[in-house]
Amino acid sequence: MKNSDNKRDWGAYAFMLPAGIIYLSVIVVPVLYSLYISLFKWNGIGEKEFLGLRNYINLFRSDPIFLISIKNNLIWIILTIFVTMTVSLGFAVILNKQFRGRTFFRGFFYFPCVIAPIAVSIIWRWIYNPNVGFINQFFKAIGSDFSQSWISDPKVSIYAIFVAALWQAIGQPMILFLAGLQAVSPDVIEASRIDGASGIKQFVLITVPLLKESFVIVIATLIVSAMKVFDVIQGLTGGGPNNATQMLSTYMYSQTFQYNNVGIGTTIACVMVIMMLVVIVPYVSFTARED
Amino acid sequence: MKAKKGMAFLLAVMMLVTMVLAGCGNNGAGTETTGTTDTEVTASGKSSGSSGGVTEVTFWTLNTRQNAVDPIVEAFNSQNKDIKVTVAYYDTDGIKDACKVAASSGTLPNMWFNWGGSLGGFYADNGLCYDLTEYAKKNDWENKFSAGVLNLCQLGGQLSGYPTSYNVLDVYYRKDIFAQYGIQVPTTFEEFEAACATLKENGITPISTAGLNGWHVMRFVELLIEHYAGSELHDSMNTFDSSYNCDAVVQALAKYKEFCEKGYFPAGFVTADPNDTRMAVFSGTAAMDIQGQWYDGMIIQEEQDMNLYDTFAFPSGGTNRLSAFAEMTQFNAKNTDAQLEACMKFMDYYYSDENAEKYAEYYNMPLPKIGAKMPEGQPNVAKMLATAETNGTFTITDQAFPTEVADALFNVQDAIANGQMEPAEGAAKIQEAIEAYQAANK
Repeated sequence: MKNSDNKRDWGAYAFMLPAGIIYLSVIVVPVLYSLYISLFKWNGIGEKEFLGLRNYINLFRSDPIFLISIKNNLIWIILTIFVTMTVSLGFAVILNKQFRGRTFFRGFFYFPCVIAPIAVSIIWRWIYNPNVGFINQFFKAIGSDFSQSWISDPKVSIYAIFVAALWQAIGQPMILFLAGLQAVSPDVIEASRIDGASGIKQFVLITVPLLKESFVIVIATLIVSAMKVFDVIQGLTGGGPNNATQMLSTYMYSQTFQYNNVGIGTTIACVMVIMMLVVIVPYVSFTARED
Repeated sequence: MKAKKGMAFLLAVMMLVTMVLAGCGNNGAGTETTGTTDTEVTASGKSSGSSGGVTEVTFWTLNTRQNAVDPIVEAFNSQNKDIKVTVAYYDTDGIKDACKVAASSGTLPNMWFNWGGSLGGFYADNGLCYDLTEYAKKNDWENKFSAGVLNLCQLGGQLSGYPTSYNVLDVYYRKDIFAQYGIQVPTTFEEFEAACATLKENGITPISTAGLNGWHVMRFVELLIEHYAGSELHDSMNTFDSSYNCDAVVQALAKYKEFCEKGYFPAGFVTADPNDTRMAVFSGTAAMDIQGQWYDGMIIQEEQDMNLYDTFAFPSGGTNRLSAFAEMTQFNAKNTDAQLEACMKFMDYYYSDENAEKYAEYYNMPLPKIGAKMPEGQPNVAKMLATAETNGTFTITDQAFPTEVADALFNVQDAIANGQMEPAEGAAKIQEAIEAYQAANK
């Protein structure tokens, strides 16, 4: 019996080995190598100069653009969790109800999700164009003289880009919430209705707790996507104006590929990973412990 | 059941072995499809080479030239059965990034388009591009290319590329709009300001520009710096021999701020795409755009009436110099002799008079060769080159500066345009970036 079990284990390992090798070679090794590079001053080609943790210290102590990027990423995370999650949950709840054309609307609201982010940025570049863009032209059409340079104004640019990103980002969490809602037993809802719960009370006290697993995956994926937001920023403002929309990912890109500061670029990447872990690991482990 | 498991196990092991062996057999090259074309290329110089007597070489260039390069490559490959050229296309900023990534991973193509100055200098400084000094001597390039452009291709103490164009920038303007409002071509800075004021009063945006990536707005800012600093100080500042934190730069940035406040640039220009600046000029909502002589080709490509366009040198008050830069093709330092010969043969074919004449609007004409013909139907090309010859030139700022210093200038442009920064602070910020760069690269 013992021999038979061992044979089964070896078979399982053999099947896991190809994927394991790929995972190790394209994920684990590069991550460890990035961590190693972050300890050096290196232009990606020449000799490496060991700096220890000086790249990390310099970024936090004397790089104002890096600090702006962290602040912008935190703003983006907060907006993502509160706005993207709320809107996508709202759509999921509505699209979970029985009504004519429901399938069409599910596809309709999911549709932006399949568009490449760089295409989204091109679309919204024209929507936000101060001279011929849809939004300013709309205000003009309704007789308002309100006009705004949406992505050129540093006070509003990050929020304007967030709206563009939101348009695309709601599809994925909406689908996850929809799947979660469909897993909620109608019997439980019916029982709560008999007990007197209805409307918002029923939703908050019965449905939301039953969506806990959906929330865990949605919040975790939203935080990850908020930390690594890149394409839509690069396409709309390139991190400008004057770094007003600079994110860790765009700054990492500039340092690595434009300034040839590969050591600093990988340091920023490592900081991003640490920030994600600091937020996500306690959250996921806390919710798992509750289970 | 046991037999099935055994078979499955065997298959898994075989798959693994195949993968590992396939990995070993691959010499590091991959295939790459660019975002702008379906052309499949071998991305690495290593991967190309001789195969069945055919020397395969890869070429990365700008997608704005694809309409000419595609048929040229096809014709070249059919005429030269022993050479196969494959091409990948990138946009202006995409090719800079793609080459940097390829340089870091040792997968540069056999030849790639590049600009002079700090952009091309990176590859020379790091021994990534072929030093053509000896090749040029052997092949008498002194009598083939103009001395000026060969000089601009001297980077990092070596001849670092095959010169493909010599570009000068001038102020393109709409003749019909100037005539409509009785504006004469400005010969002094004061007249230029007066022309802008008249245009603005009449609902025309004086200068079409776009700040995404910074370099288009820089074309105007550097002319203001030239105006206030004069040629000697400007050159000295661009080589970092004089400080940018000086009165001339403060005055230039103050004038730029004034122009922003007066609305002499399009609304929201700070994050507008430089590719869109010509739309405003072509549609007549803007009157001027600072462009190189390649703009004549764009006017033809966009089927605009060439008679509506003319150029003048920005009246900077001194010699009215134009900014200038070179373009070139750089060759992988790892090229074998056969690959280099194949690349050179292709370059000579690509930049032959016949092809340049046939696809003139996709070249930055004229070719930088001695005795090169001026392109037909592009009247401003000869005019601008003559102006550059008379007035002199200075190296365009984003090629004179390392990228991080150029970005500091771009941030200052944005901040001043948005009222976040005063000119004096801007001048200090640029100098701060220069000093930080110098300290980091001692």
